[in-house]
Order: sequence, then C-alpha cells, then structure tokens
Amino acid sequence: MPDLQITATVNGREVTRAVKPWHRLLDFLREDLGLTGTKEGCGAGECGTCSVFVDGVLIKSCLMPVAKAQGTRIDTVEALGRRQFTAVQKAFKKAGASQCGFCIPGMVMAATAALRDSPRADREEIRERLGGNICRCTGYQKIVDAIELARDVLLGLKPESVFDEETTADGHYTGRNVGRIDAPSKVTGALKYAGDMVMPGMLHAQVLRSPHAHARILSIDTSAAKAMPGVEAVVTCDDVPGVDNYGVFVSDQPVLARGKVRFVGDAVAAVAAVDLVTARRALAAIRVDYEPLPAVFSAEEARRPGAPVVHDYAPNNVTKHIPVRVGDVEKGFAESDLIVERVYETQPVEHAYLEPEAGLAYVDPDDVVTIWSPSQNITHHRHMLARILARPINKVRMIMSPVGGGFGGKEDMIYQGILALLAIETKQPVRLVFTREESMAVSAKRHPSRTRLKMGVTRDGLIRAVEYEMVCDGGAYGLSTEGVMRKAAILGAGPYRVPNLKLDTWGIYTNNTPSGAFRSFGGLQAQFATESHLDVVAEMLGLDPFEIRRINAMRVGTATHTKQELKSASLLEVLEAAAKASGWDTGAPTSRGAVRGDLFGPGNRVPLAPGSRVDLRMPAEAGEVK
Amino acid sequence: MARKRGRGMAAGWYGIARTAAVDRAGAWVEIDDGGTVKVVTGVTEIGEGILTVLAQIAAEEIGVRPQDVTLGDNDTARAPEAAHAGATRQTYMVGNTVALAARDARDRLVEAIAEQWQVAPERIVTADGMVSVEGESRSMTMGEAVHLCKTHGVVPLGAASFGTDTTGLDPIDGSGRPWQAYVFGCQVAEVEVDTVTGEVRVLGIWAAHDVGRAINPQGVEGQIEGAVAQALGQALMEDYVQVEGRTTTPGFARYILPTSVDMPMVNVEIVEVPDPIGPLGVKGIGEPAMVATVPAVMNAIYDAVGVRITSLPASPEKILALLGAKDETSRVAPVGV
Amino acid sequence: MLTCDDYLTPTTLAAAFDAIERNAGRHRLIAGGTDLLSWAREGRAGDVHVPVLIDVTRIPELCERRVGAERVRFGAATPIARFLDDRALAAAVPSMAFSADWFACGQIREQATVGGNLVNASPAGDAIPPLLAQSAEVELAARVDGEIRLRRLPLSDFLVSSGRTRLGENEILTAIECDALPGRGAAYEKVGHRRSLVISVVCLAVVVELDASRRRFADVRLALGGVGPVARRLHAVEDFLKGGPIDRERLEAAAEMPLDFVQSRSRRAYRREVVRGFVVRGLVNALKRADVADGVVEPELEAVYA
Repeated sequence: MPDLQITATVNGREVTRAVKPWHRLLDFLREDLGLTGTKEGCGAGECGTCSVFVDGVLIKSCLMPVAKAQGTRIDTVEALGRRQFTAVQKAFKKAGASQCGFCIPGMVMAATAALRDSPRADREEIRERLGGNICRCTGYQKIVDAIELARDVLLGLKPESVFDEETTADGHYTGRNVGRIDAPSKVTGALKYAGDMVMPGMLHAQVLRSPHAHARILSIDTSAAKAMPGVEAVVTCDDVPGVDNYGVFVSDQPVLARGKVRFVGDAVAAVAAVDLVTARRALAAIRVDYEPLPAVFSAEEARRPGAPVVHDYAPNNVTKHIPVRVGDVEKGFAESDLIVERVYETQPVEHAYLEPEAGLAYVDPDDVVTIWSPSQNITHHRHMLARILARPINKVRMIMSPVGGGFGGKEDMIYQGILALLAIETKQPVRLVFTREESMAVSAKRHPSRTRLKMGVTRDGLIRAVEYEMVCDGGAYGLSTEGVMRKAAILGAGPYRVPNLKLDTWGIYTNNTPSGAFRSFGGLQAQFATESHLDVVAEMLGLDPFEIRRINAMRVGTATHTKQELKSASLLEVLEAAAKASGWDTGAPTSRGAVRGDLFGPGNRVPLAPGSRVDLRMPAEAGEVK
Repeated sequence: MARKRGRGMAAGWYGIARTAAVDRAGAWVEIDDGGTVKVVTGVTEIGEGILTVLAQIAAEEIGVRPQDVTLGDNDTARAPEAAHAGATRQTYMVGNTVALAARDARDRLVEAIAEQWQVAPERIVTADGMVSVEGESRSMTMGEAVHLCKTHGVVPLGAASFGTDTTGLDPIDGSGRPWQAYVFGCQVAEVEVDTVTGEVRVLGIWAAHDVGRAINPQGVEGQIEGAVAQALGQALMEDYVQVEGRTTTPGFARYILPTSVDMPMVNVEIVEVPDPIGPLGVKGIGEPAMVATVPAVMNAIYDAVGVRITSLPASPEKILALLGAKDETSRVAPVGV
Repeated sequence: MLTCDDYLTPTTLAAAFDAIERNAGRHRLIAGGTDLLSWAREGRAGDVHVPVLIDVTRIPELCERRVGAERVRFGAATPIARFLDDRALAAAVPSMAFSADWFACGQIREQATVGGNLVNASPAGDAIPPLLAQSAEVELAARVDGEIRLRRLPLSDFLVSSGRTRLGENEILTAIECDALPGRGAAYEKVGHRRSLVISVVCLAVVVELDASRRRFADVRLALGGVGPVARRLHAVEDFLKGGPIDRERLEAAAEMPLDFVQSRSRRAYRREVVRGFVVRGLVNALKRADVADGVVEPELEAVYA
C-alpha cells in the first residue's frame, strides 16, 4: 500500500505529507495536519461542516479525495482571522450567530465565500448561497443577520464599530445582549469537540451492531478479531464487571447485547485498535450466531395479545401508562352541543445534531475511569456507570466535552459504557466517533405517536369534556419513554380549562429504533393534536381561533389537569402579543386564505423564484467578464 | 395563483425543570484575586448560551463585568452537581442557584468591607468591578476589596442550591404538582402552498413567548428561531422511516432537514411575566418554543387550501393527494353549510 | 468508507489507458468523487475497497469546452458550476443552466462533473433531462490494440436503466456534445423534499423557440426525469405542441400525454399529478423567457400553473 506524497499550500504554508491514498481532503486536514476546525458532520457532502477553500473555491472536503489537493492552495477556518477576526467572524459574534458551534466553522467559510462571490448579495441570495450548509440550532436567522451585517461593513455602509460589544456602566448585565462568551472559540474553529481530541497512545473504537431487529444470540466468537495485528481489545457483555442493566427511568438496557438483540443497530461487541481501518476490519472478523425471533414494528401490533415480547419483564410490551382523570367525561359530553373526534399522528424524528456522538475514555493513574463526551447528563451517567463498572462513584469521572448540539439526544447513555469497558481492558485512551449513519440508526428518536382526541364543547365555545388517548412507539429500550409519556399526559389537553377529562398516554416497546428524549419531550406531539383540534372545532362554531383559546384559557388560580393551582399564567398575554405582532385578521378558520386581509405583510420572507439567479446573457451583452 | 397563501395560529404550554420529581442544582462562587469571579457548577452548555447567561447573572449580582467571570467546567470530579441539560431547566435551576451563590459570596465580601469601613453592610454598593459606599466618595476596586478581605482572613466564598417544590403524579388520576413554573406561548404562521407540487413554504412566523424574564434577549430569540426550524422540519419534511426495523433514511441525503432556504422569517415577541417563586423571576424557553409551530403551520395550510393534515409530516405528496380528494368531493357536492 | 491501495491521477488519455490496462478488473474511474464517496457508506454500499482508483479529471480531453454555432462540446470532467458561470456555455445550453441552479448546492456543483452525473445514471440525475432536451451525444474512448478509438452514442441510447449505461468496462466517457441553443427560452422544474441539496422526485427540462409571430412554437423540447428507471425525451408531446397554436387547451392536453411514463412504484399518483402540472408550468416559464407575444399565455393559465 504505497502512501501518496501530497504537497499543498495550507493556510499559506507549504506542507508535504505522506498520506493514505484513500484519505479525503478532510482526513488530511484533521488527521495529518491536526486542523480540527474543519468538522465531519455527515461524511456525505450533505451538511457543510467540512467546507474549505481549494484554490479559492469553496468545496466540501469530505467528498474530495486528498490526491485532488496535490499542488493546490487550501484555506481552512484556521486561516481566517489569525491575527484579527475577519468581518464575517466579528459579525457572527456580534449577531449571536453561533449556538452549539459545530456547524459554525463551515458556516463562516460559506459566508465568506458568499460575500466574496457576491459582495452585494441580499438576504434572499445569502440564504441561497448557504443552501449547502446545515445548522440545527439557530434556524439560520442570526447567521443571515450576521452576513448582512458583515456585508454592510465590507461595503462601507456601516462603520466597523457596529461589531463592538454594547457597553454599559450601570452595573446591570441581565436583560442585555451580552455577547456569547464562547463565540470566539466557535467562529475560529478553535473549540475542540470530543472527536477532535487526541491523546498519546490513543486507540480507535468501533462497534459491531445487530443486523436483526429481534434475535437470540447463540454465540459470539471474537477470537479471530482479537488475533488481528493492531487489535488491542474486543469486548462483549461478558466483560461487564457490575450490574449490566441501566436506564433513566427503567433499567432494561445492557451496555452490549446480552442474550438477545432488540433492534437493528443494537450494540453487540466493540473493538479498540490502533487505527480506524483496523478496527473496522476487526468488526468484520467477529462471528455472531443469531437465531431470529418474531419481531414487532408498531405500537398497535405490540399491544395485541400474543404479540412478540421485547422485554420479559413487560409481557404486554407496555413501558409506561400515565392516566389523568378530572370530573366525569360522559357527563361532560352529555352537556356538550358539539362533539368532534379525530385521530392525529406524528412521525419519528431524528435530533440531527451536527456533531455525531463521540467520546474519549481512559483510566487515570489514580484508577479513575474518566470519560469525556458531549453528554447532556454527566451526573446521571456517572451514577449508572458506577453501577455498571462496580466502582465507587468517585472512581468514575464524567467530563462534558463541548456539545455539538443535543436537543435531548445526548441525554440517554448509549456508548459511554462501551468506551469505559475498552479503556479498562486496554489501559490506553480510546476514542469512539460515530459516523452519521451510525448516529441515525442507533440514537433515540422523537416518539412517533397516534392520538385519538374527542372534544365536547358548548355552542359558545366552552370546552366541556375531553377524551384523549395517545399511544407512542418507544422502540426497543425504555430510555426516556416514561418521562415523555408523563409530560404528554400533563400537557396533552392544552392550557385550557377542561372540567371533565379522561386522558391516557401509553409508551410501548417495539423492535424499532428506541425513542427517547427530544426537545419538547411529548409536549410537541400531544399539543399538535389539541391545537389542530381546536381549529377544527372553531371552524364548526364560527369562532376565531384566538377567541376559542381565550374563552377556555387557564388563568392565575386555575387548577391544571393534574389539579395544581397556577401561581402564574400568561396565556392571555401571549395570545394578545401574537395577534398584535402578526396583525391577525380576525375570523373563523374557514379556509379563508383567498380573502383574508393580513397576508403578504412585513415579517414575511420574499423568496427568490427558482432560476432567478440564472443569467443567460452572452459575454458581450453581459458587459462584464469575470 | 398556483401558489396559495394562508395563515394559522396555535398556542401551547410547558413546564419548567424536571417533571413530577424534585429538581435541584448546586453552585460555588468565589470572588477571586484581581476582582475576578469563579463560578463552579455542573452546568451543561449545549449551545443555548447558558454560560453567558450565568456570567451575566454572577456579574450583576456581585458587581463585576461578565468578562471578569470564569465558569468551571462540567466535570463530576470537580464541580457541584447541577444535573442535566434538558427540561428547559438550566436558566431556571442553575441561573437561580448561581444568583443565590453569588449573593452568598458577595455577602461575605460586603460584611468584611463594611467592617473595615465602619458602615452598615446595606450601604455598600458593588458594580462594574468597583466597591463603594452609597452617597459617599469612598471606593476601591473589587480586586482591592478581595485583597483586603483576605488580609483579614476572609475568603469571599459562596455556595447555594436551588430546589423545586414538586410532587409525583397520583397513579390513578394523575393529580400532583409536577412543576412550580409554567410558561405559555403562541405562534402565527403564514404559508404558501404550491398546488402544482404540493410543496409548502413557511414565509413568516410570529412567535410570542413568556420567558419570565429574559436574561439575554438575543439568546432567547436564538432559542425561538432554532425551535421554529426544528419544528418546521417535523411539520414539513423530516421523517425517520423504518421498514421491518431497518431505516431507509440512513443519512442526510434521505433524511431531509431544513436549510436556510426553507426557513421563514421568525418575528419574536418576548413576553415577561416574572416567575413569582425563584429569586430572578426567570422561567425558560428551549423546549416550549417548539410546541406551537407545527399546529400553527397545519392550521395555516388549512387556511390556504382547505386540507387538514392530521398525520405528519405535511409532505408535498400528502398535500396533493388531499387536494385531489377535495376536488373530487367538491365536484360531487359543492360545499355548502 | 472507501479505501484503495492506490490512487492514480493520469494527465493524458494514453496514461489513463495504461493505468486501466495495468489494473484491469481492479480499478474504478473517479471524476468529481461526490457520488462515489457518499455511496461507500453504511446504509448504501457500506465499506468498499477498490484496489485502484483512477482519477480522470486531469486529462485535457475531459476538461475542454468549445461552444460552436450548431453544437457545443464539453469534456466529461466539466464541473456543473461551469454551466452557470461560463457565460458562453450557459447561453448555449440554457436548460442545463436552469438545472444547475437546482443541482445539489454551490459547493458540490464545483466538485461534481457532468460526466459523472451521466455515468452514475441515477433516474433522478439532474444533468440528464437538460442534455436529453438538447439532443446530447456522448463520446466514449477505448484503447484497442494500442490505439485509442472513439465512439459516439446518443445520450438516450447510452442510458440503459437505473445505474446502468453502455459504458464498456475499459472505456472512458471523454466528452459530451449537444445542440447549441442560445436565445431559447428554457426552464427546469424540480420538486424534492426541500429546495436545496435534494434528490428530484420529478424533474422536467424544457427548451422552446418561437416562430416570427412569437405565438407558435418553432421548436419545443421536453425531457422528463425522476419518474422511471431512465429519464426520457418526450418526442410525442413535442410533435403535438409543434402542430398547433399555443393555448390553454393544447398545453393541458400535452400535459396528459406523458403520464404513463411514470413508472416509479413509489409515489406514483403523486408523480403523475406533478408531471401534469410541470409540463404546463415548464412550458409557461420557458415561453415567458422566450419572450412570447403578449396574451398568448393566458392569465388564467398562469393562475393555475405558474
């Protein structure tokens, strides 16, 4: 395997390195040169976290074989603002454009390219020019604001001083737009996420995952993998020293599959090796004999008698049921003038944080198992790991590495245990970085849900009764399902006074990818149903949608559905604020888009039509030749 | 026009901090040499800007500038527990904790200085790195004040914890006090539906949210804008598909996320109804900002073209199928009533 | 992940054939690499080891561009972005310019090549319908008995089915030639699951030329992609349209004609519905860009389709 000799000018300096012939430009930058400001978010050209300039042209370095970089001039985020921030970097900082920061180096590069190629680009053109770069935190608004600000300064339309931090001398700092203290490290790419960290003697971990949705494991033979040169350890559930059963609400998950696998992607064994390629080849050498079992792929099926059982402790596949009862719904429906029933469904959704899961583990000289990872819950992970590893809590140390987006997805512990086992086994630092596909296949999703909602109202719009049943597919392990069901149950009937309520939420085991914590945690699914339903009812009653909500709104002193007296309630205030800000044209929701008077106003985008940037004038006509 | 516009609205509510369980957070604060401040707490910055929020709170409470504040890393071997980044709890739980710990540290310093200056502690003013006496010209820098404290054997250290008064839910009827703070929000969406392709474009969102008190308004806006983006993905395009347990959307080429081209203008209205319990009046915004977007968009689609999406996402295919079915119906019997 | 033992970058066609012959059966050609690298991943091909990758993008024949009065010739390694920013090329291949505006994203347009898109032969490949509409031919080179031989095929013959072409094992797609159609009205209609960086569910390329009255077609070309194993030119629709006046009735009648070309099993009803709308919308957009006489495109037609 001859290495390629690559010479290129990187950030103004000529470098020559012998590299693996299959390396991508991204690998060259990150591994061979240690320039970790360029990130790998997807490895397939879909996210833009790896955007760099090659001979002045912005490209995605995960899609470029390094051989193509021979003799080129490469500029990465590290080249920008080495002495002083560029206008784009200053603007990102000023506008609050960075949140988790993982997309930001690529975004700064894309912004720089946009203003180089089109110095007067307006807001809509800027949006188009960022179309290859995904951000999951910001909604892009402050990023576009930042680029407009940088453009105006670069064009001389605004003074440099617009980048300055607001100064105050009254001692008050709350309620003010104090600049994010972590912005400089994010706009320069200096911040090291777990996947950017290296330690001397560090090994690379990979995980063997189940190809079956539900199967008994008859045997695992790791001998061939262990014998491979460069392989330092192969671990299975047999290597777990403590109680191999953990979870946030219910302990139903082993670190590595024990006895059976419950979803496609369930972790079965793990390898630590001197490099990634060796580790991946070792996975292929592990022999696992499976006996496939009948599997169940929807909550409805899983609830039927006789359905395949995912966990023996839950023979009916119910992870959690939460009931809420108020008054007497039959009486409430009897008092209603209108009863409307509908079914609402939501899909499983991926968190899609730009930073795939990653971690670095080692056992320190004082025998403390130490794990760096972008965990949203190091405290709880420490408790669980101490039990799994059979160590006192102070012999397990969790350190949060910068989190490149979480949204709940890094709350459940799905790989830190594996890293700990490998570090204990090898006595060397071990790093595991998920691929995007691995993250997609094994990290928890937002619970898909099916909600049957029946509401009874009086002629003047007062809710008299609600019957509400939500069934969620929790997938193969409990994770946060119980909490999600609880939140959905408490919030499901909405911030409205419901004198008679019968509400149930059910979390169900299946052999799908587990569902877990995800920003808004049951609140989104539950209230999608209620808030859609209120419009359906309002149309039938001829009521404005704001009005039906006002009529039924909870106020200070109202008892919630769980019979808690509200000490503070602001529904009427936010309804008023939204109606006013949007200039809402009052009327019943009767599909009146064609006649309503509040459309096309300020506060809307005016997107470019597709093709409007295409210029077909011949060079002579165009009057300028680039 | 083949592209039809409409508007919809929706509201929502949310609870702050851990659900139906006691929540707690701890912090240590030291007013350090040179008038800098060390805040140590197991907070978890996940991009929302909590570190900046805590620096603002500590700076204001102690009387220094945010850049004088250093925040300890989240390390179980080094920092007091502040629990997880989730449940929209960090500004509420950790923010209030840091405020209390900062007050505790400041009290130590102020007591020592008051004794030196022979004035009542209530008359000591600390702001922007200066320590002075109300209505007098006496003053010193915070650095000098720390030095003076230490000379007299006082290390200005503070510690605090903040917990919630909550209960679990009754297993039969669900009654209980799951949270001590609730927030409410309302959003209006304006959409355009392409009746040839079934594509929905969200052009504007007006989002009004009660956050109790905004410590960093720009950060609050960022949370709402980001929440709208994620909710818009759920509303219109994202779908993790599995066939017999195996995903057919294994990467970002098939699992479609919103880009800058898909996002509406988000118009944020911050509403401040202070929390009556916590010391700062703050509540939270991370999760609640997502709740109203999806139904507001579905209600807007109905307004624009008269089809009611009850199964997410509102893909172009579903929109066009429902539009076709609606045309069929109206051909048979023109809609009356 | 994609691994290889060797990565070769020949700079002449002869050197490329040397490399192919030396590594016959162990090699794979690579151009922009944007498809190959994203293909060798979990959920698609998984880990792939190709002993020898031969990069064809530095071979001069694959990089040239010549815009003539009748025909346009461009090397297979021409990046998609050139169809937007090389003004002579954009003007001569207007349907490609509109397609390129939709193609992936600005960065991938700089990396992905037109030849790669054709050889990849995805049913949804965005370069294919425009080039079919402009009657493209592909030029394939092979070395037989030490001599480089060229053959030409219409693009429509070159594409066999999803992922399959008539490119021989040891052949190289060197160049594409198509009609030069400056001044025509063109359009590219596409729908996916979002606007940017997305796979087409349906795509349609349209090129029109009006006669002197600016009320009738002198020429009209349509090619449809995303709805079956291969994109195709809609000759029957073109002939129908050329035979009569431009009015709502005829455009709508034309839109009914290609519906049976929708062969994809998934989203079939949806695709049929979109094809119907796209034919009219694409024609309306192209006609407007061709400066059609006032009143020909009835306001009512625009209201329903545009």
